[in-house]
Amino acid sequence: MQLKGRKVAIVGMGGIFPNCTDLADFNQKLFSNQSLIREWDQALSHGKKVRSTVSGYITEEEAGLEVVWSTIFQNYPDTYIDKLSRIPDGNLATADIGSIWAMLNTLDAIKMANWTTAETESEQTAVVISSGSAGNIILRNAWHTFFELGAKSRQGGGHTVDRTMIFREAANVSCLIKNKGVSESIGSACATGLGNIGHAYRLIKYGLQDRAIAGGVEGTALETFIGFDAMQVLSRGFSPQESSRPFDKNRNGFVCSFGGGIVALEEYEMAKSRGAKILAVIDTYFNNSDGDGDMFYPSFAGQQRLWKGLLQETGHRPDVVKVHGTSTPTGDSIELLSVVDTLGETGYHVSAPKSQFGHMLGAAGAVELISSILMLENQMVLPCLNSTNLNPELENFQTGPNWNGPMKPLEAYRDLIPQQAFAKEINHITCLNYGFGGTNSAMSISNDY
Amino acid sequence: MERQEIIDGLVEILRTVRTVNQEKLNSVTEETDFIADLKTPSTEMINIVAKIEQKFNLEFDDDDIDDLGSKVRDTVNLIIKTQEKG
Repeated sequence: MQLKGRKVAIVGMGGIFPNCTDLADFNQKLFSNQSLIREWDQALSHGKKVRSTVSGYITEEEAGLEVVWSTIFQNYPDTYIDKLSRIPDGNLATADIGSIWAMLNTLDAIKMANWTTAETESEQTAVVISSGSAGNIILRNAWHTFFELGAKSRQGGGHTVDRTMIFREAANVSCLIKNKGVSESIGSACATGLGNIGHAYRLIKYGLQDRAIAGGVEGTALETFIGFDAMQVLSRGFSPQESSRPFDKNRNGFVCSFGGGIVALEEYEMAKSRGAKILAVIDTYFNNSDGDGDMFYPSFAGQQRLWKGLLQETGHRPDVVKVHGTSTPTGDSIELLSVVDTLGETGYHVSAPKSQFGHMLGAAGAVELISSILMLENQMVLPCLNSTNLNPELENFQTGPNWNGPMKPLEAYRDLIPQQAFAKEINHITCLNYGFGGTNSAMSISNDY
Repeated sequence: MERQEIIDGLVEILRTVRTVNQEKLNSVTEETDFIADLKTPSTEMINIVAKIEQKFNLEFDDDDIDDLGSKVRDTVNLIIKTQEKG
C-alpha cells in the first residue's frame, strides 16, 4: 500500500552518454540541438552483413577505461583498467562494460546526493538497476571458446556468470557501495530503465526503503545491435545526425544506441530535512501491459489505459510529454495519437530525446528521465530533431474499422512537436517508455512542491 | 624444467592479474601462499590455473585441481607431475 503523505525526491544523478565527456557536456549538447549519433566503425567493419551503420556508442577510451585482453583467447576482455582510479580492481574483475558504467554513474549520483557513508551503506538503501541485454561481449567469447574451439570450460574464464547474469549491474553496484537494503533487477525490455526507477520509487513510497540507487544501462555491444539489425527495424539511408527522426514522415527505424543513467532517490522529508537539493519530485509511476497477445505491435488501448492510470493518481496535466518516440513507423504514430487522445490538441509540448541520441534500449528510460530532469532544471523543452515533415495523410490503421482514436493526420499536431529546443515554464513532465511484450511504463515528475 | 624457472613463469602470469597484490610478487618463493600472502581472490584462482595451462602447454586433471593446495610449491609440484605424465 502507498503511504499517504510519503513523497519521493530525486536528489542525485549520473550517466554515461554517447559522444559526451560528462553530464554537463550532455546538458550543453542536448539543449543546443546537437545529435550524439555517429557512424559506428564496429558496424561498418562488417560491410554488407549489417544494414545500419549509425549508433550512439561509447568506446572504452571515452569512458576512461582500458581493456586488458586475454592472453589465452583473442578478443576476450579479461578485465578493465580504470585509468581514473574510480573503481577498485577487485570490483572491475566481476564486471562487464555495462556494470562498470553503472558503478561509475552510481558514484556520481551519490556524490550529487551528498549521502554519508552511513546513509549509503544503510539497511534502508536499495539498489535497483538492470539492462536490456546480456553481457554480450563476455558471452560471445566464453561460448566460442567452449563450443567452437573445444576448450575446457575453465578456459572461458571464471567470471562468465557474474559478468553476464541478469542481475550483474545491481550486483556490482551493491558490492561497490555496500548497501544493506534491497538489491534487485527488473527487466521490461525497452522500458527497463524507467521500470527500475519506478520499482525503486515504489519501495520508498510504500515505506519499505528510505533511499535507492536506480536506473538502467546498456553497454556497447555489437550483438545487441545485430539482433535489431536482423529485424530490419534500424534506421538507414540518412546521415548520422539525421538518422533518428521521430514523427517525421520519412522515418524508417530507430538508431540502436548505448549508455547509462542512474538516479539517487530519497524519501522527500528526509531529503528536505538534511538540506538536500531536490532535482525533482516523482509524483507517481504507473505501468501495465497491452494484453492483446502481440509481442511487437504497439497498442492504442494499452496506452490509453496507461494514461488513465497515471492521471488518476496525479491529477497533474503535464507541460511536456517526454515520449518514447523511437523513430519507428507505427510506434511513433500510435504514441502521438494516444497522447493527443488523452491531453487534447493544445497546452503542452512533445519532446523526443531519442531524436538526439538514439534508442538506448534498457538504458533509454533512465537516460530520458535524466533528460527530463534537465528540462525542469533549464526550463527548456528538448526538441524532436529531424521531425521535418509530418504525414499530411491519415495513417493506414486510422482508416481501419477498429480504430477509435483521433481522426486527424499527424501533420495536424505540428504545433505540439518542436524542432528546436525552446524556453518555457515547465512544472510537470510525463515520461513514457514501452517495450517488447506489450509492456508500458509512465512516470510523472515535477519541480519541488 | 627447473623449479625456479616454473616459479618465474608463475610470477609472469601473476603480473597480469590485477587483483593479486603486485608488490609482493618481487619476493615469491615456494612457501608463498596465493591466498594468505598474495591476497588472490578465490574466484581468480581458476583464471590463473587456465593461464598456467596455456603458458606451460599442459592440461591438468580436474581431480588434481580440486585437491590443489594454496602454496606456490603445490602448483609447482602439480606442473612437474603433469609434465611427467606427458
